[in-house]
Amino acid sequence: MEKLSFAEIDNTVNATLEPPGRMYWTVVALLFCGVLVGAACWGWQILVGIGAGGQNSPVNWGTYLINFVFWVGIAHSGTLISAILYLLRAGWRNPIARAAETMTVFAVCTAGLFPFIHLGRVWMVYYMLPVPNQRTLWPNFQSPLMFDVVAISTYLIVSVLFWYTGMLPDFAVIRDRAAGVRKKIFTVLSLGWTGRYEQWRHYSRGYLLFAALATPLVISVHSVVSWDFALGVAPGWHTTIFAPYFVAGAIHSGLAMVLTLMIPMRRIFNAQRIITMHVLESVAKTIVFTGLIVGFAYATEYFIAWYSRNSVEMEVFAFRSTGDFALQYWIMVICNSLVPLLFFIKRIRTSILWLFAISIAVNIGMWFERFVIIISSVARDFLPHAWGDYAPTGIEYGIMLGSFCLFFFLFFLFVKHLPSISMTEIKELQHQAGTHD
Amino acid sequence: MTNHDTHITALFADDAQAAAAVGALRQTQWPVADVHGPIPSQAISGALGIKKSGVGWFTLAGGVFGFFLGYFLAVFTSARWGLIVSGKPVLSYIPFFIVGFEFTILFSVLANVLGLILLMRLPAHRDLPRYRPECSADRFGVVVSCRQGEAPEVRRFLTELGGEMPEPADTQRDL
Amino acid sequence: MDRRTFLKLAGMGSLTFASACTLESEKKLYSLVKNQDDMVSGKANWYAGTCRRCPAGCGVLAKNREGRVIKLEGNPLHPVNRGKLCIRGQSGLQAVYHPERPKKPRIKQDGRWQALSFEEAIVRLAEKTRSAAARGKNRVRMLTCLEGDVCMGLFEKSMAALNGTAPLVFEPFSHEHLRTANQAVFGVSGLPSYRLENADCLVSFGADFLETWLSPVEYARRFKAMHAYADGKKGRFFYVSPWRGLTGANADAWLSCRPAAEAVICLGLIRQVLARKGSSGISTQVARQIRAVCQPYTREKVIEFSGVDPSGYDQMAEALLRAKDPLILGAGTLGRGRGDLQANIAANLLNFVLDPQLGKIDFTRRHRAEKAAGYGEIAAFFDQLAGNPPDVLLLNNVNPVYALPPEMDTSGILGSKQMFTVCFSNFMDETAQRADMVFPVSMALESWDEYGAYPDLLSFCQPAMKPLYGAPQIGDVLLRIAPDGTFENKDAKQELISRVQERWGISDTGAWLQAVRAGGRFEHAEASAGASGPAVTTAFQSWFEDPSELIRSESLLFAALPSVRFFDGRDAHIPWLCEIPDPVSKVAWQSPVLMHPETARKYGVRTGDGINLINRSGAVSAPVYETRYIQPGLAGIQAGQGHAVPGKYSGGRGANPFSLFSLKRPADAKTAFYAADPLRLEKSGQRQKLASTAGSMDPHGRKIALTMTLSDLAAPPGPEKHGLAMHDFPLTLPMPEGYDAHRDFYPPHDHADYRWAMVVDLDRCIGCSACAAACYAENNLAVVGEQEIINGREMSWMHIEHYQQMDRPDQPIFLPMLCQHCDNAPCESVCPVFAPHHNKEGLNNQIYNRCIGTRFCAQNCPYKVRRFNWHDWNWPEPLNLQLNPDVTVRSKGVMEKCSFCVQRIKTAHGHAKDENRKIKDGEVIPACVQTCPTGALVFGSLMDADSRVSKLVKDRRAYQVMGYLNTKPAVIYLKKVVHEIR
Repeated sequence: MEKLSFAEIDNTVNATLEPPGRMYWTVVALLFCGVLVGAACWGWQILVGIGAGGQNSPVNWGTYLINFVFWVGIAHSGTLISAILYLLRAGWRNPIARAAETMTVFAVCTAGLFPFIHLGRVWMVYYMLPVPNQRTLWPNFQSPLMFDVVAISTYLIVSVLFWYTGMLPDFAVIRDRAAGVRKKIFTVLSLGWTGRYEQWRHYSRGYLLFAALATPLVISVHSVVSWDFALGVAPGWHTTIFAPYFVAGAIHSGLAMVLTLMIPMRRIFNAQRIITMHVLESVAKTIVFTGLIVGFAYATEYFIAWYSRNSVEMEVFAFRSTGDFALQYWIMVICNSLVPLLFFIKRIRTSILWLFAISIAVNIGMWFERFVIIISSVARDFLPHAWGDYAPTGIEYGIMLGSFCLFFFLFFLFVKHLPSISMTEIKELQHQAGTHD
Repeated sequence: MTNHDTHITALFADDAQAAAAVGALRQTQWPVADVHGPIPSQAISGALGIKKSGVGWFTLAGGVFGFFLGYFLAVFTSARWGLIVSGKPVLSYIPFFIVGFEFTILFSVLANVLGLILLMRLPAHRDLPRYRPECSADRFGVVVSCRQGEAPEVRRFLTELGGEMPEPADTQRDL
Repeated sequence: MDRRTFLKLAGMGSLTFASACTLESEKKLYSLVKNQDDMVSGKANWYAGTCRRCPAGCGVLAKNREGRVIKLEGNPLHPVNRGKLCIRGQSGLQAVYHPERPKKPRIKQDGRWQALSFEEAIVRLAEKTRSAAARGKNRVRMLTCLEGDVCMGLFEKSMAALNGTAPLVFEPFSHEHLRTANQAVFGVSGLPSYRLENADCLVSFGADFLETWLSPVEYARRFKAMHAYADGKKGRFFYVSPWRGLTGANADAWLSCRPAAEAVICLGLIRQVLARKGSSGISTQVARQIRAVCQPYTREKVIEFSGVDPSGYDQMAEALLRAKDPLILGAGTLGRGRGDLQANIAANLLNFVLDPQLGKIDFTRRHRAEKAAGYGEIAAFFDQLAGNPPDVLLLNNVNPVYALPPEMDTSGILGSKQMFTVCFSNFMDETAQRADMVFPVSMALESWDEYGAYPDLLSFCQPAMKPLYGAPQIGDVLLRIAPDGTFENKDAKQELISRVQERWGISDTGAWLQAVRAGGRFEHAEASAGASGPAVTTAFQSWFEDPSELIRSESLLFAALPSVRFFDGRDAHIPWLCEIPDPVSKVAWQSPVLMHPETARKYGVRTGDGINLINRSGAVSAPVYETRYIQPGLAGIQAGQGHAVPGKYSGGRGANPFSLFSLKRPADAKTAFYAADPLRLEKSGQRQKLASTAGSMDPHGRKIALTMTLSDLAAPPGPEKHGLAMHDFPLTLPMPEGYDAHRDFYPPHDHADYRWAMVVDLDRCIGCSACAAACYAENNLAVVGEQEIINGREMSWMHIEHYQQMDRPDQPIFLPMLCQHCDNAPCESVCPVFAPHHNKEGLNNQIYNRCIGTRFCAQNCPYKVRRFNWHDWNWPEPLNLQLNPDVTVRSKGVMEKCSFCVQRIKTAHGHAKDENRKIKDGEVIPACVQTCPTGALVFGSLMDADSRVSKLVKDRRAYQVMGYLNTKPAVIYLKKVVHEIR
């Protein structure tokens, strides 16, 4: 990464906060309409019942939980980049850490909606909260869904706090350069941060601990999500590889999403000198790694099914790759474990176009991975007489559209109103680079 | 100690210079009131002789509390009705560990934040007057307190150390 | 907007939001100030009666709660059904509460219907009839369904007074071929009953005695008496027919033959029997003629003509010759065409040759259905209507427009302006649509009547509830429209009382009350048995003709197939019968064209393709359903659907096979019959999704519906299984002894006093689906409709799964599937809110109010018996009156499933507590168990060592479906016993 003066860094980042143009607001408005569409669909579903969707017996879970797992997955690489790579002192994570963290926060928010959308009686959802009640009947903490409640809410709280703490010094920077209302707002947000070394000493320590805690958390959260399935008896679900398999998958999809977001962002904010090709390349390399893990997991599933000699397991997996959902299955395999291998070629992993295309492919592939896992197992489980089929309805597509719009809506608001690149961390990076050479 | 009624801020381009200045000032009778910087710096912390932060103790306490709270919640709630599900014991400690674990993380983090707030005494708007905005950008500001009369001397001293001197007017403003 | 308006709007918004959140509840509460003497709120009254959904005449008990009948159960004292009911009997209630049941009489004036009060209607009708009667002979005619003797007597009397001839009895399923055959062979023009229970080898040439033939519930019981495994023995049952319906599905072997080739096969068998056994006990001259008739049918000829599988044929012949007590049943109810008549005659002869004493045919206990008029008479009747229309035509609960061939133009005749047609009907069916007046009379459950399935069997109908719409019963109407002074009695009830007094000598009130309470007089109904058959005449030869055209027919032939659900079509509008799928095809709501895959390939169609079947009588369009259970070259549609009437349930659903038949009337009217001419098949172009509830009928080698051969059972039991794999996993009872350290991770748990469990004997289950209907009635199950079934959202708590046998894919097996109430139920632990949990008596509770609808339990149920409320289902009024007040009606968004009829368990608990004792074995009887005609289901507590379930689970045949999942189901299945393949 070429030498950048602190001032240049500040300028680049503060430039992103210049009052946005009409184009921007048009996009934001469109996204908001998308959100409204999703909300309307949900309203309709609450009115007429879950039957508005395509779920049935035996396929009682549909796109809602697919999207839930998908978005939780997206969230994960944010924490990976901001926490795990921080602990590993991987310098290339600094330029994208902030955006990735933001992605985490918004993805968790989006994901958090889906369990509600999925519920048959969402108005009774408080039964899942451990609140004292006159029946003295509490939630069942043996249920994987209660693990979810605990894990996801913890994850949301932690990632929000982590996010805010990380932004504190940057708020101060903006405060010092801003004027008028913006100055007032950022004065409040920055909590009077002055960069005194008395502050730095607690801050650095606290931030390190944050990272140290977020790391086990992020791994536990997606393990818990995987146990929603692994603790079930359905063939193809009831397996011990699910936790690592899901965590890897989550990071896989998350990194892809990071690329999908970063590539346009650096272009629009011409932050090419901060989010350098080196950074994107490093992400691509990591994607190759996670892709290989995921591919390995796919293979393992088949091996274990064969090795078990259990006809039910074997038939479910035969069905996955050859049955009604074979198309989805092969999309998953190709997009997740084969396409990323192209990143072995330097020319491809350093070409913006390729990076972007492949990141999209992986996103699609990971969505279908969740589809294959959630739908195909129950569609062909133990009693052949109960076998069934599944196809999403318009309502479900509407809600899915709404969820994507919500995510990008929030992200768009963020990039123009908060520092989407961590100035402090870039400065540290520069400083280290400076001291080392 | 004689009363130091003036604060003089010198801005340095990088932390090495600032650290040197702090070191030099230590030899004089003028105490270093404060050092501001855009990034944490080993050199400066070293020069100031700052100790490791104690926020970790908050975090630990929070974690321990959270772990037991989580376990207690799970055990207590399932003991209320003692409903058997899937033929498992009413108190299934293994699944309850997940609750305990998540609570551990949650409360460590909450305690961690609490610790930061208390130790950094946030919100710290009271610090702003003595602070130069450049310090959030690319300057390291060393604040020296001295008597009114010594001011020119101190300025000279700091300039020799390579510090930039903003106009006196600014430095006087907090009196 | 200014601040005030904003606040107003905000306020409104929050208000509407708040009000939207409130759960709607009953607005008013009524209490009965003056109660009827026999009505105690919350306590049921039971009234005995007779089921009138078909001519079989089973005894029912009607459960009346707060003045409304909410459930029908069989009358245990009744000799016909011994406390059991079929799917139709269980659903009978919905005919009473049907939303489309006319509330008032209506009269057609210049094409539009006008409502009348009952009084008005009677007055108007009386005018018409009396003036008509005055105008001369036979100006008033009547066509009625089969009624009891008393009612018929009343009809005749009043028709006579109106100076017309006696009413003609029209039953689409008149079993005329059987009657004619009995006349031809035994000189008895009637329908004797058959003692299946005494047979050890049964051959049916199409007689569908489990679906519609004569008396299904009774014959199901008698059939299982010979065909259920007991002390090492099990009778054999061969089914010879071009198609395999429910009855055929229960046969040990199905011999598929060309349509109308049954007679040939039967004659071939006669030949072999005579050859092997000789003709001892048969008069020489009769024997000579029999020989003459069956001489040409050598084994080779038979096989050539009928296209039957040779080895199967030999097996059947062998079994028949070896049998000690063989019994032959002729063609089926829907027997159409001359071939079936011959089949029946041949069957009679075969019976005679095998057992000249005819010991297993009871000519004294004859089915009432024999009183129905023949095809010829019906045809003649309509000819007269056409030729010389009477002034008034009374139609009592018949639907000739649907059931008779289109070419007879019944609809045109009934529509004619010259005669005033009155239809006493409770549904606006095809016939009612064409009548000039529709008079809804009270139904069997609302009126005083009598219907004896057999001669001198007294079986009452009594009002189990106040007539829903205050309609009079038909007896009263005829009594009113007859000229004054015709009847000494003032109403039909009085008439009934005096007739019963005359005929059954029930004079004093005590005896009367006793009889009414019991549902009738059953003592000597059983007595008349053992009388041997009459002498065989020689009138039969003339019937047989050269069968050689059989092998020539190359074109697509057609058959109407019997349906256990719709009978002759009178029940096609009943929601439960539409909703519960056909047990063999597993298709609900629709009546597809059954076709052999070969045939389908030949015509280039596949399952789901819409096709039109056309012949010179008419045309029907329906989707194709490929099945191996039908002879190639034959297309079949189950009878009952395809009603051309408006209506939510029956309107325009399925296809009417009768519309492809035409009346064949050779010289003498007595031998008239219906037959379908060869078909032309056209693709309609569009495809239709079949509302099938079966994913796959192939068990995929899984431990689901298992069989055992007799020799397996004869052999000493093998070593105890204790593996962990699917097929060597032991039976693990849902009891502490069912746990074992090397299989179980968790310790066992105990239960308080009872551990409820059910034993399902697959050897006894005939798949009739009566249990499913009973469950719908008892537990307020919703009817979701055709589209939602296609979406896979049926709500049945108890359903019949149809599988191929694992080692014999050609043989079907039925598996009743319901919540298994597992000891380690996977559904329970995954629920975040404890909605499903294990109760102290081992039940798997489902708490509707607690459920928030995560649906994880259903995902995790290996048996897929949990049902989710995808919408708020509705019960169009007055169907809601049938709802069982002891069972919650579930709202949208909650999961539900079989509860082992927990409400009945609770009631039993109440009684036991009052008498301060434990619940006795057999005291708790879930609805499905109660109605099972063959006693395949047994319910009880495993903690009671001498309960029947505790004994049965020790049976060698006991196993658990997918037991290796170690959920320890409390529903234990007994393997079906099959005969070795030789």
